[in-house]
Amino acid sequence: MWQQVELALSQSAHRVLVKLAIFLPALVALLLALIILTAIGAGLAALVRRFLTAAKFDERLARNAIAPISDWSPANSPTALIARVVFWGCVIVGCFIGISAADAAYPGDSQVSAYIIPYIARSVGAVLILIAGTVIARFLERSVLIGAVNAKLQYARFLSLGIKWLVLVLTAAMVLDHLQIGGAVVELAFGILFGGIVLTLALAVGLGSRDIVSRSLERSTTFDPIPVDPDFKSTPTETLRHF
Amino acid sequence: MASTQTNIASTPMPPTGTMPASAPGTATAAGSLLVSLVPLAPEALETMLANLSLAFAGETVLVATPDAAPQLSSDSPLRLLPYTVTTVSTTPWILTAADYLNTYKLAQENRASACVLLGAESQTLHPEAIRALGKSALQTDLTTAHYNLGPREGLVNSAILYPVTRALFGTRPRFPLAIDLGLSLRMAERLAAVAQRFTAAGQNDAFLWPLSEAAIAGYSIAEVNIGPRVLPQPVTPDLNTILTQIAGSLFADVDAKASFWQRARGVQPPYPITQSAPVAEPPPDIASMLEAFRFAYTNLHEIWSLVLPPNSLLGLKKLSLLHPESFRMPDNLWARIVYDFILAYRLRTINRGHLLGALTPLYLAWAASHLTLISSGTAPEKHIQDVAVAFETDKPYLVSRWRWPDRFNP
Repeated sequence: MWQQVELALSQSAHRVLVKLAIFLPALVALLLALIILTAIGAGLAALVRRFLTAAKFDERLARNAIAPISDWSPANSPTALIARVVFWGCVIVGCFIGISAADAAYPGDSQVSAYIIPYIARSVGAVLILIAGTVIARFLERSVLIGAVNAKLQYARFLSLGIKWLVLVLTAAMVLDHLQIGGAVVELAFGILFGGIVLTLALAVGLGSRDIVSRSLERSTTFDPIPVDPDFKSTPTETLRHF
Repeated sequence: MASTQTNIASTPMPPTGTMPASAPGTATAAGSLLVSLVPLAPEALETMLANLSLAFAGETVLVATPDAAPQLSSDSPLRLLPYTVTTVSTTPWILTAADYLNTYKLAQENRASACVLLGAESQTLHPEAIRALGKSALQTDLTTAHYNLGPREGLVNSAILYPVTRALFGTRPRFPLAIDLGLSLRMAERLAAVAQRFTAAGQNDAFLWPLSEAAIAGYSIAEVNIGPRVLPQPVTPDLNTILTQIAGSLFADVDAKASFWQRARGVQPPYPITQSAPVAEPPPDIASMLEAFRFAYTNLHEIWSLVLPPNSLLGLKKLSLLHPESFRMPDNLWARIVYDFILAYRLRTINRGHLLGALTPLYLAWAASHLTLISSGTAPEKHIQDVAVAFETDKPYLVSRWRWPDRFNP
């Protein structure tokens, strides 16, 4: 009995040690690939930045006056944007290579990378969706806020916050769906939240703009043309001209 | 000065100061002056041609018009040059890149030595004014029109365009975006070269800033008082859209010409202030302007704080608490605000569309302050000149922060 327990324990310990012996080189391979590709990425980014700076890329782009890329670039520099894209591209490639290398360290029947790589790819996609969603939410929030303030809508802040959270909720649902987390619960929760926000906004805008809408409807239903007095001369009631 | 690279054929020009001059009353050489018109209604075109005949009686003048021109009598001094407008302008109330390009091409093809470019509603110009523009165009590289506007007109020009252009480029003319211009051929060529960059990018309706171009090239600049004139108004009455368009174009021009204006020195001599009748009462729009500003202060404070330094924000806070009758935005505060917005435009602190949208309520605050001030008896022109001086005084701040944007800024 005791011998059997001892044998089972020693076999377990052996298996743990074997797994550890396989896992550690795999981890080292992964880290090594990641570090090397990160270093290459940093080098390439520096090279690209130096080359584009020497070529006065930012100035050329600004001079062409057709540079929507500049609006998306960090700290006013399209050069910085391209350099960062190069760097992070290398880091992601490093991740993939590292996982493949780790997979190679396992015995032939192991298919770790077959599961992990697609999930990493999904995670990268999810992170990109999250970043894009956050940027779009902030952009739309400010656009709506400024537009509504200039239109003197009293519920400007409320409207902008509603738009922001609408986009953020949509982004969160997309991220979770992309990562295959939550399943039907996320869809249901998203539907309820999204519908709730839209309904709230519709009620707020509808109630707030009641007078405007009724005036607009009155105007559109008045079909009788007003008779024109030939002697009538319009008097300028407002002499203010901004231009 | 390096010449701009374009694919417009270069025209040999006489050196500066040797532009052909015509003394009053003497006949201009055939084809020496080209008057370029924008599209006009048939009746307006007839009036315009009659005015041109009066303005240049006894001289031969080329008139470029995109409209179907009526038959002229054989003794008319005008020689019509019909041309085809390729694209319909969405901003017919202002001269656009396509107008400058058309004018230069026609001037070059017809060997004109100077051009007069007249904007919309030009039939309301007095013949003497047209003559003065034409005469000045033959003697000076750039002649801009000086309009006699009412105290409540042209406020964007008074608040932003004039003071910024004067302070940064050291130019004197009061209307940087004038729609009636006299151009020497080399000035027209330079403007056409700039215009071609825009038209090549499909931006036919882009605005050009002739004063800054002339200042950079070191060309001579003059201003002609053209008296009363009906100024066309934007088709879209939305202030926010138009202000974004105009201020965005000016800020982009300032950004593009930074290497020049950082070096440019000089303070303009005091402008002659015409005594206008005091404005009796504030217009009713002041209340809505103040309301717009106060509403924006409570909602856009977060966005303004990304652009403006704490000192300016404090100034705005004090302003938001003032009563309508004592509402007065200090000139130096307004100058600082505009400069900070120019800096933010350059640095892309926030999206440029958002930035220019956030400027609108501040401009309305300035306009309300200006209107309140002139209703209390101050001459409108005096206040406008004071604002321009404040911009000149504060220029070192802009230059300093342009060079070192991250420097501590209280």
